[in-house]
Amino acid sequence: MRPPITPLAPRPSQYGIDPSLVKTRASDLPGMTSVMLRELFPDLPEVIFPCEEGVAAIRKATEESLENVDMSMIKPEHSVNILAAHHGFTLLGGEPYAEMLKTIKDVIEARTGCKSIRLRAGVGLRFRETEEYIKRYGLDQHFNGKAIGVAPVDQGIAIETEVGTLYGIKKIYDADWVVHAHNSDVREVHFHRQVDRAVKPFGMAYARIETRSTYHQNLGPRAANFTARAIFDSPFVQSKFAFASFLTVAPNGIINVDADNDLYALNDRITQSGLRYYGKIMTLFGEIDECIAVLDFPCPVVYVFAAGVIYANFAGANTDLYDLDTALPAYTWYTEAFYGKRGKPLLDEIPRVNPAIKMCVHNYAWTGYPSAFFSEHIPTVVVGQEQADHFNMDPQNLTYMKHAMVAEDLKAAMEFAYKVTGTNKAVIFDGAMGGINVSKPLAEFLLKKAPEVSKRVDEELLPKWLRQRGVIL
Amino acid sequence: MKVINQLAVVDAEKCRGCKTCERVCPVLAIKMENRKAVVDNERCRGCANCEQRCPDYAIKMVKLEQPVLVKVDVSAVDYALVEDLCRKAKFNPEQLICYCTATRAEEVAAAILQGARSPEEISFLTGVRTGCKVECIQPILRLLEAAGIKPEPPKGGWQWYGRTVTVWEIPEEVKKKYASRGFYFDEDIKILDRVANAPVQERSDS
Repeated sequence: MRPPITPLAPRPSQYGIDPSLVKTRASDLPGMTSVMLRELFPDLPEVIFPCEEGVAAIRKATEESLENVDMSMIKPEHSVNILAAHHGFTLLGGEPYAEMLKTIKDVIEARTGCKSIRLRAGVGLRFRETEEYIKRYGLDQHFNGKAIGVAPVDQGIAIETEVGTLYGIKKIYDADWVVHAHNSDVREVHFHRQVDRAVKPFGMAYARIETRSTYHQNLGPRAANFTARAIFDSPFVQSKFAFASFLTVAPNGIINVDADNDLYALNDRITQSGLRYYGKIMTLFGEIDECIAVLDFPCPVVYVFAAGVIYANFAGANTDLYDLDTALPAYTWYTEAFYGKRGKPLLDEIPRVNPAIKMCVHNYAWTGYPSAFFSEHIPTVVVGQEQADHFNMDPQNLTYMKHAMVAEDLKAAMEFAYKVTGTNKAVIFDGAMGGINVSKPLAEFLLKKAPEVSKRVDEELLPKWLRQRGVIL
Repeated sequence: MKVINQLAVVDAEKCRGCKTCERVCPVLAIKMENRKAVVDNERCRGCANCEQRCPDYAIKMVKLEQPVLVKVDVSAVDYALVEDLCRKAKFNPEQLICYCTATRAEEVAAAILQGARSPEEISFLTGVRTGCKVECIQPILRLLEAAGIKPEPPKGGWQWYGRTVTVWEIPEEVKKKYASRGFYFDEDIKILDRVANAPVQERSDS
C-alpha cells in the first residue's frame, strides 16, 4: 500500500480557524494509505498539472489555447473585465487558476493593445473570500491594482432575459467586454446536475441575490441552471461577451486549458469530460457500503473534496446525481427545504442522506455555507472547541454545533468513530492531488469495485447521461 | 427564527461614510449620522453583511453577552390562513425558505398576516435573510405577493430589486426550445406542486 498523499496545508482565513489549531492531519493517522486515481480508473486522462514544471505548464497551455480565440472585438481604447470565481482558487492549491487569470490578462494586452484590463472575482457565500485570494496570489499587483472581489449583495444591474428581468452584479459588467475565466471541475453536481456547467457562474458568482434565489428557490432542482442560460443569452450579456477560458479538470488533476468564443461549444466538451471522468469516481463513491468521512480541507463543510467529489455529493452518492430522471438528490437545497418539522421529508419519495456515512469527523473545514443539515442528519464530531466556537459565531451555521459533538483532538475523534460505527473504512476529504487518502480496508474495497463501475459507466450510464443533456459524442 | 449572538460595531475613525453598510443591511439597522455609520442595536440581526462589505474594514462583529431570540409566533394566527397563504405562494407551510436560520414558510406567512409589509420587516421579525443574506429573498417576495402586497425596494439601497420568474411562469416556447438540453421544467413543476400540497407534519396550532 502507498503512503498517504500530503494534503494542502491549512490556510489563514477569516472563514476558518487559525491554522496553528489544526494539530494533526487525518492523513498522518496510523492505518491510512492512498490510492492513485489512475489505479482505480486507468482511462483517466494524462494531466498537465500537478507536474514538475509547475504553473509554467498552465501558462503555456493558456497561451496555446488562446491562439485559437478571436479577440479582434477588443480595441486598445476598450475596457475588459476578466471574470473569475472563488472555486478555481480551491483547486490544486489555487496557483493554476491564478496563473491562468494572469496569462489571460497578459495575452489580451499583448494581442489587442488594450490596457484597461480588470479582474472581477465573484464569490459564493463568503463575501471576502476572493479578496483573500487576490492578495494571496498577487493578483492585485498583476492587474495593477485593478483586481477586486465582488459579492451578490453589491449594487446590481437589471438584465432583461427571455424569462423576464434577472439581476447581475453591476461591477461584473462595467466594462466594454467580459471574459469568462472558469474551470470544469464539477463540484456542485447536486445543484447544476452537469447541465450547462460552463454557464453557471452567470446565474451564480456573477449574479445578484435575486437571481441566485431564483436558482435555488423558484425554478426547481433540474430547471435551476436555466437561470444562468437566461442571463448569458440575454442581449446585454451577449453584447459584452468576448470569450471564455477554462481550466479543464479531471479528478486526478488539470487536463488542459480550453478557450473558445463559443461558450456552448466549450460547454459540450466539458459536459462530456465531466460525465465521463467524474461520473466514474462519483459512481464508485456510491458503492461504498459503510465508512467514516473525515473533513480536512480549507473550505466550507460541503466543499471539502476527495478525488474531485465534494462532501455534499458524497452525502448524496446513494442517488445517481447525473441521472436527470431522479428529481432530487439526497442533498441539495431543494431537498433540505423539503424536510418537515419532524425531521422527515414531506414526500416519501425524497431520498435520505447517504446511509453509508456512519459518522463524520470534522477535523478542519470552514464556515460560510449553511451546513447544519449535515450535522443534523449525519452523526458529526468536530475536533477542537475553538472550531466549535468558530461555527457558533457564523450567521450561516448557528445550529451546526447543536447537532454535533466536540472531541479534544483528532485521535480521540477517530477512536470514537471507529468504536461506535464498527467500520474500519475511512475516507479523508483533504483534496489530495492525484489520488485519495483512505484507510487500508477502504482502499482494498475501492480497488476491487472500480473495474465493474468503470464498465457500467462506459456502457450504461454515460450514454444515458449524455442523451439526457442532448450532448452527442 | 434566529438566535442573535452578535452585533455590528462601527469604528468611527475608520468609517468614511460611503453608505455601503446602509445599502446592504437587510433590516435597515444602519443609518448615516454626520457622515458616519451608526448601528441601531435594537434592529441589528447580526448578519455581518455590513462587516463583510465595508470597503474600509470599519465594522466588526462583537459577541453579545446575552443572545436574543427573534421569532414570530405562528400559533397566534389562524393556521388555516397561514396554510392558505403558503400554498397560494406555492410553498408547503413547513418548507424551509431560509437554510441558515431554518425559518419555514409558515413563520414568514404568519409575520405577513400579523402586519409585516416588506422584506425588511419580515427579516427583522423572523431573522430570515440574515444568515447568508442571499438565497431567500424570492420566497419572501412570493409570500408578500400572494398576500396582495407589493413592496418597494428601500430607496437608494441594494437590499433587493424585484421578484423574478418562477418555474410555473416559464413560457411554453422557452420550455420547448430547451427541452433537449436537460432542463426538466414540467417535471420540476410536478414535484414542487406535490411538495406544496403535501400535508404538514406538525401544525403549529395543534
